[in-house]
Amino acid sequence: MIQFFHVAKHYPGGQVALDDVTFSVLRGEFAFLTGASGAGKTTLLRLIYRGEVPSAGRILVNGRNVSSLPRHKIPYLRRTLGVVFQNFRLIDRKTVFENVSYLPRILGADRTEQRQAALEALRRVGLAHRLSAFPPQLSGGEQQRVAIARAVVQQPEILIADEPTGNLDPDLSWEIVKLFLEINRRGTTVLLATHDRATIERVGGRVLTLDAGRLVGDVTLNGTMPPALPDLDEPAGPTNPEDDSVAQPEQPGQAEQEAAETP
Amino acid sequence: MTFRRALAYFFREAATGLVRSWKVSFVAVATIAVSLFVGGVFLVVGGNLSRVAERAKEDVRVVVYFDPAAEGQQAERNREMEGLARQAKGKAWVLGATLVSSDEARQRFVATFPGLAELLDRDAEALPPSVEIRVTPEADATAGYDEWIDQLHRSPGVSTVDDDREWINQLKAVVAVVRGLGLALGGILLGAAVFTIGSVIRLTTYLYEEEITIMRLVGATEFFIRGPFYAEGLIQGFLGGALAAGGLWVAFQVTAARMQGALLGALTLARPPSPEDLLLLAALGAAGGLVGGVISLRGENLGEPPVDDA
Repeated sequence: MIQFFHVAKHYPGGQVALDDVTFSVLRGEFAFLTGASGAGKTTLLRLIYRGEVPSAGRILVNGRNVSSLPRHKIPYLRRTLGVVFQNFRLIDRKTVFENVSYLPRILGADRTEQRQAALEALRRVGLAHRLSAFPPQLSGGEQQRVAIARAVVQQPEILIADEPTGNLDPDLSWEIVKLFLEINRRGTTVLLATHDRATIERVGGRVLTLDAGRLVGDVTLNGTMPPALPDLDEPAGPTNPEDDSVAQPEQPGQAEQEAAETP
Repeated sequence: MTFRRALAYFFREAATGLVRSWKVSFVAVATIAVSLFVGGVFLVVGGNLSRVAERAKEDVRVVVYFDPAAEGQQAERNREMEGLARQAKGKAWVLGATLVSSDEARQRFVATFPGLAELLDRDAEALPPSVEIRVTPEADATAGYDEWIDQLHRSPGVSTVDDDREWINQLKAVVAVVRGLGLALGGILLGAAVFTIGSVIRLTTYLYEEEITIMRLVGATEFFIRGPFYAEGLIQGFLGGALAAGGLWVAFQVTAARMQGALLGALTLARPPSPEDLLLLAALGAAGGLVGGVISLRGENLGEPPVDDA
């Protein structure tokens, strides 16, 4: 669960990135964060994973006060979060497997456990067959799916995404959004920053709107909260034949069971 | 992650880094190798000179030379020499005293330097009679020793007192200078090498900045982020130290062979660098590299995520 209480962020020189922002995203919720470029979306997300320290206010992430978190505890906070970026942020010189298995490795998993975790995460995004590929050998959509696999490899409680579809064409964007919805259906809280109104209107659900650093809107579109999963098989235009990211429908009850297992 | 597994990861990543930026790594390794080689040369030379000084100290003599006796005063001169020898034997630090007449001194000289015997024919009194006093190695540290030497100087008939301590002390001073010079030069060069390694490592972190940012984002700790860079410094330093040790061994063998029989060679190259010396160089290199890595990254906020936009 993410809670912001009167949070402000000012940069030196008087630039106001966020001003008196208060909201909360409940456990298991899917929420969009929207606003024009420079509205403060990235800053807000960075505050969640302690990439920034707020100038005022309090931020709780799963009950933990992130604002006052000692520096040496930040890595442990980040291990409970998955973060996805617009520019993927993959390590080009490492394989897909090494990119995805990074967190299990630093958590002390042995090679077999790393492989299992990475395979499972890559299977979820439909890229289990590209284990040995290097990021530059992948398409943009595939790279973003690898980034998502890396973010969910340890089944984080919260997944935050900063314009994850910003570098992708509309068809691939929809595939990526569907992945986030699928991940959310398994119990992970998702906060997805985007300025793509079409995607927001298509998915519906909770929408937080920022404008010049202020939270100017907190609405639920289509009255569906928590978001009902759209028809994942609904074609959203021609798909990339090499892109196998369409999430497979789950067996009845599987999502609930896995959600219960998620820490 | 277990410490052992973390170390394995650090060294694997460090090796990858070394290969990836082998040119700058080579410069760092070469710098530390040169500095430790120079330090090693002084270590070997200083060590050998020091051993010469120590050996000399085991057989310290004080030789008291007398004025040659005038005609008819030979008996009196002998009595003075015997009296001095007797007095000397009473001292706790004296192991023995031997009278050496001019004739005996001449015989010794001729035996030692047969080709120079004719020199003595020109001057009948070239070699004065003397009393050779052997003293304990610790004699110079004994209270009363200096006063005794002064007394010898003032004894009747004595022209010169040759105390081995003088040249031993001079040799010790040379050893101290060689060692000091070696320490200073080696220290300066090692400092430069540590700085070079530090700079190389800092450059490497710039090369890996994006990667470090990603590591941070997924929850890697400082230990995990910095470990590979420290390992890289350690490996660079160790390679430099090992190179210096190997170079020193080869240089010693070549130089010692060329200087065989020469006095300078006998003094400075009597003993090759020991395995301990060579290990010390490699260890110093490794420690220097590690220190370089640690110092260069101290206070650095490696890979703090940049602000993309507000």
